[in-house]
Amino acid sequence: MKKLVIPGELISQERKRLGGNVFVSNGKIYSKVLGVTEENDEKASVVPLEGKYFPQQEDVVIGVVTRAIFAGYGVNLNSFTESFIPKSAMREDMKVGDLVSAKITYVNELREAELGFPRRMFGGEVIEVIPVRTPRLIGKNGSMLELLKQGTGCDIIIGKNGRVWARNGNLELLRKVVTFINDNAYKSNLTNSVEAFFKSEGIQVSVPKKDEIRPKFDQPSENVEESEVLPSEESEVLNEGN
Amino acid sequence: MSGRVTENMPDYKKDKKRVDGRKMEDLRPLSIKVGVLPNADGSAYLEWGQNKVYAAVYGPREALPKHTQNPYKTNVKVTYRMATFSVPERKQPRPNRRDMEISKVLGEALEKAVFVEQFPNTEISVIVEVVDSNAGSRVACLCAASCALADAGIPMRDLVSATGVGKAFGELIVDLNKDEEDAPDAVDIPFGILPNSGEIVLLQMDGLLKKEEWEKIAVLGNKACQQIYQMQKKALQDKFQLTEVSESAVEAVASGKEETKEAKQRKESKKDSKDNKDSKESKSKKVKK
Repeated sequence: MKKLVIPGELISQERKRLGGNVFVSNGKIYSKVLGVTEENDEKASVVPLEGKYFPQQEDVVIGVVTRAIFAGYGVNLNSFTESFIPKSAMREDMKVGDLVSAKITYVNELREAELGFPRRMFGGEVIEVIPVRTPRLIGKNGSMLELLKQGTGCDIIIGKNGRVWARNGNLELLRKVVTFINDNAYKSNLTNSVEAFFKSEGIQVSVPKKDEIRPKFDQPSENVEESEVLPSEESEVLNEGN
Repeated sequence: MSGRVTENMPDYKKDKKRVDGRKMEDLRPLSIKVGVLPNADGSAYLEWGQNKVYAAVYGPREALPKHTQNPYKTNVKVTYRMATFSVPERKQPRPNRRDMEISKVLGEALEKAVFVEQFPNTEISVIVEVVDSNAGSRVACLCAASCALADAGIPMRDLVSATGVGKAFGELIVDLNKDEEDAPDAVDIPFGILPNSGEIVLLQMDGLLKKEEWEKIAVLGNKACQQIYQMQKKALQDKFQLTEVSESAVEAVASGKEETKEAKQRKESKKDSKDNKDSKESKSKKVKK
């Protein structure tokens, strides 16, 4: 069962595997933050409800250029410190206020993030959300993101630092939906209610089923999955024939 | 500041009741609300008797000027201020010796609760503003500030709960009001703890006490802080309800905009396309068969 916990609240008296946002004191496990925990889980962890963005390696983030000097650009990532992109990494020049998407390649012990693969974003607009709630915008295997793209017809990039960049499509609707998800991020059954929301706006969307969701890059390619599916269909046909 | 001894001064030992009708270990009515200031990262509003306090938290953010940065921990920087209209006589808005001292002790108390080593080179700004006051404003500020810190999502060991304890009119009491603070024999102790571990993080004393009296008072203070902790916990939990998203909420957001002609058209066109799709699918199935 899910439970709301506050900082310092007891999560478990037993020994458990430790997840995020918990600490151990006198052999007992306590929560570090205001968040939600799964009581019967094997792993003791808390999903935070509020908080700033902690830079983490491999995160895709959306930054705003705050400083342009001879050697490169200072970029605000909504984090504690400013990051830097050298001019040699960019094809084109940027101005203060430009948007840039990048991947975090390294985070040092002072939580300063190094950026790689920078891409300047042309046009579009940014919707800000609470950074710890971005996983709900993406959903399981990207189901919510797929829904948003279907419903609004926008090109969307979700930065883990709480910035959603979007272009084309119905931006006004997207803003509404993203705010709705941000406000209700701690509630369950969110994907279905977003589907209902789109329906009430007169837009038909379908929640992508498990096998419809595109696989991650490190998973086997689609062809393999299809070949696994095909025999069963054939068998069905055979049964009908009989 | 002790008042003058007068003939009709109350005697708590005889009366068994305090000047405002409370029992000796009773608190004044307390209410906390979390998340009241939209521009702050975390915030809280607290009413405790006549005390009214706002607390706002910003950060963790880069500590400036740069020489204040500490590569081993974050600075919890508290700014305690009283509004000019918060006391009967106008308060000079310039921060005075008392404001600076309270800012310092509150910062040190909160630092014990926060995991400061997680945010090197940064600063957490806590700004507490007293809008109305009647004795015990620093403990009210501490309670509000710890709720605001939790609301900002800052990792903490525990909340900080605090209350005033002490002695007035010959009896040991909890949560002194202004009349009791001004009693001739008054002893005022702001008393703050981390409720789960019982660790004391704020302890000051104005007046003199016997050792036995202090031992009794510490027990009273602990009990009162546990009560306050429950209220803080409830205030934080009330902000979020772990339910499914209600249909009415979806409707409320949707009804913000009326169904436009475009939406209707889109509906119709989608219907058509769906019909087409269905027919196509059935065709393809037939082909497969």
